Amino acid sequence: MPQFGFSISQPRAVNLDTNDFVPAEKLLRELPELQSCIACGSCTATCTAGNLTSFNFRKVHTLVRRGEYREAYEQMDKCMLCGKCRLVCPRGINTRAVVMKIKRELGDYQR
Amino acid sequence: MNYYDHFVIPFVVGTAFMFAVIVWKWGRWLWKLPVADKKAIVRGVFSLDTLRAIREVVYESLLHRKIFRVNPVLGYMHMSLAFGWFLLIAVGWIEASVVLGTGTPLHAHVFFRYFDTAQHTGWNPFAFIMDLLLLMVLSGVALAWFKRMRSRALGMKRTTKHVFIDRVALTALWLIFPLRLVSESFAAAIKHNGGFLTGGLGSLIAATMDSAVIETLNSLAWWLYSFALASFFVAMPFSRYMHIFTEVPLIFLRRYRLHSTAREKSFDNFQIQACSRCGICIDPCQLQNVLNINNVQSVYFLRDRRYGKLDEKVADNCLMCGLCESRCPVGIELNTLRLNSRQKSIDTPALTRYDYLQGIDRSSGNGKVGYFAGCMTLLTPTVLRSMERIFEAAGEGVWWADRDGGSCCGRPLKLSGEVNAAERIMARNKELFAKHGITTLVTSCPICLKVFREDYNLEGIEVIHHTEYILRLVHAGRLSVEATGQEFTYHDPCELGRGSGIYEEPRELIRMAGRLVEPEHNRREALCCGSSLANLVIDDSQQSKIGSAVTSELEATGAATIVTACPLCKKALARDASVRVADISQVVAENLRVAS
Ligand code: SF4
Ligand code: SF4
Ligand code: SF4
Ligand code: SF4
Repeated sequence: MPQFGFSISQPRAVNLDTNDFVPAEKLLRELPELQSCIACGSCTATCTAGNLTSFNFRKVHTLVRRGEYREAYEQMDKCMLCGKCRLVCPRGINTRAVVMKIKRELGDYQR
Repeated sequence: MNYYDHFVIPFVVGTAFMFAVIVWKWGRWLWKLPVADKKAIVRGVFSLDTLRAIREVVYESLLHRKIFRVNPVLGYMHMSLAFGWFLLIAVGWIEASVVLGTGTPLHAHVFFRYFDTAQHTGWNPFAFIMDLLLLMVLSGVALAWFKRMRSRALGMKRTTKHVFIDRVALTALWLIFPLRLVSESFAAAIKHNGGFLTGGLGSLIAATMDSAVIETLNSLAWWLYSFALASFFVAMPFSRYMHIFTEVPLIFLRRYRLHSTAREKSFDNFQIQACSRCGICIDPCQLQNVLNINNVQSVYFLRDRRYGKLDEKVADNCLMCGLCESRCPVGIELNTLRLNSRQKSIDTPALTRYDYLQGIDRSSGNGKVGYFAGCMTLLTPTVLRSMERIFEAAGEGVWWADRDGGSCCGRPLKLSGEVNAAERIMARNKELFAKHGITTLVTSCPICLKVFREDYNLEGIEVIHHTEYILRLVHAGRLSVEATGQEFTYHDPCELGRGSGIYEEPRELIRMAGRLVEPEHNRREALCCGSSLANLVIDDSQQSKIGSAVTSELEATGAATIVTACPLCKKALARDASVRVADISQVVAENLRVAS
């Protein structure tokens, strides 16, 4: 096979076909408004926890929607449920419910 | 004499069953109480609290004074049933003791007119009183009927939807008194021992039927009456009527200072089963009257929890605004019960959670007075700026806890049921407050205020809301507010008003700046802005629907500015307002009189 000098870093490879979408689909079924997220990042910019650590709410919920749950539960545990993100979200997404749902659904995915 | 007839069997069995179940239930709940609560009971029993409790039992369980205050007709309905029945039993007991002698069995008292041995000639005062009482109870039953058919007539828009066992008990209860009337009338037809009501009907029966028929119907009527009583007593401990007896120990335990807490305990059972499902909590709920959600109100929440059918969606769907709690005639701690059922379903041990807060200190400034803005104030910079101006004008040295970012107070986590996690955040914040040696902690957010006051145990630090603090500055002459002649209206935040009992301070400040016009619902009756952090279910459009209903009520006062004292309320109200919405600190900061 010819080598073109490109490669894929294994840890960053995303294979959507092998992901288990059951929890992600449940999340979207129960909070359909999450589909309207425009990934603007306002939630992350205002986040209380994100201000103090590297926690990034937009990243976590985006990954979860893609079926990538690794670390998502532990990351979500950093959230303080303060509700600032909900107030700034331009799409009016019930972000606190998203946090709770992710935590409830992914309890089994811890570690 | 043993005054026996076969028809008493259902009654005797039913009564024995009921008391056995009640004793078993109460015994178990008391047994399972935490040690501290048991000690509190022992201390309380021999104190004045017991006498106070007895008084309260008479006023509330028998006379239903609180329901009277909410609605006199509804109050009469409850009183005529409870107090009327109580008097029927008490007076009936005395009469039976007088005629049959003391030491006669229970059923002879209850079915006295059947076993009556006295020769009646002339007017019998007992019979008169008993008939009067029966009439009173029957009028209550009639009203209850009427309420089922047309709840509006009794001032309630909606009445509770009942479960099966309640219907059984209710049907039995409705039948008891009409059947008593019929039975006693037949007995009177034979023994002439009735008063104006049963005696009158008795004479009518005696005049129109022949004696063999009367004998048969008499026995049938007493059988039915006994069955109705038995059905009620058997269903009672499993139905809402358990409240009749449970309210009594609840009143005593409350007087002994037992309270529900953020974690479930067996005392909760006394509160849950003391709910009469009167439905008074339904109408005020904004989830009901604005959003038409009709299965989450406190009455349904308690019912589902009692029967072990509580759904997360019901437990989570509540603003914890406290409006229903302030109306509940039984005084059940509805917010706390809602909270601890959330705690039970979602709390995790949280062994390392928020360890990242360790060592983080972004505070600045120096002073004995600490200012904690809180997440919501950080999102409403106008409030923060106004506080800065006020502190400066008063010449106060301030320690700013979180002006440049900081931790949450922990209350949102607690409200969501994550009590363990909340405690970890609280511990970190406490360390921070202690480290900087403040003696007063001012916050602009009523949510933070409540948790600092109730859960932090901040020794040596006084926690006050900025409304209280600003007013103190004015009273101490360190600040003065210019009168503007403007008109303001004021929205009571739930956590500040009903939650922390602060109603007058903001009003006093507003009156210094201008004229205050009250909206329709104010103080204890104030509405929720809809954005409460306690509700985890309703979506954005529903929040804004509640908010705009509140905003239009505030705008209807015609005031030029809507004032509130909570950054979250401010944001919620401003969404749909066509007039200015301002925090009380803004009103003060904008109208500071320059010292001359
Ligand atoms: S603020 Fe709302 S729309 Fe923007 S990224 Fe966050 S969730 Fe998505
Ligand atoms: S609720 Fe959680 S994710 Fe949202 S701003 Fe607060 S800490 Fe960040
Ligand atoms: S919670 Fe209180 S107001 Fe509501 S139904 Fe029960 S007793 Fe009545
Ligand atoms: S606390 Fe408020 S939102 Fe919750 S049930 Fe009571 S009235 Fe309704």
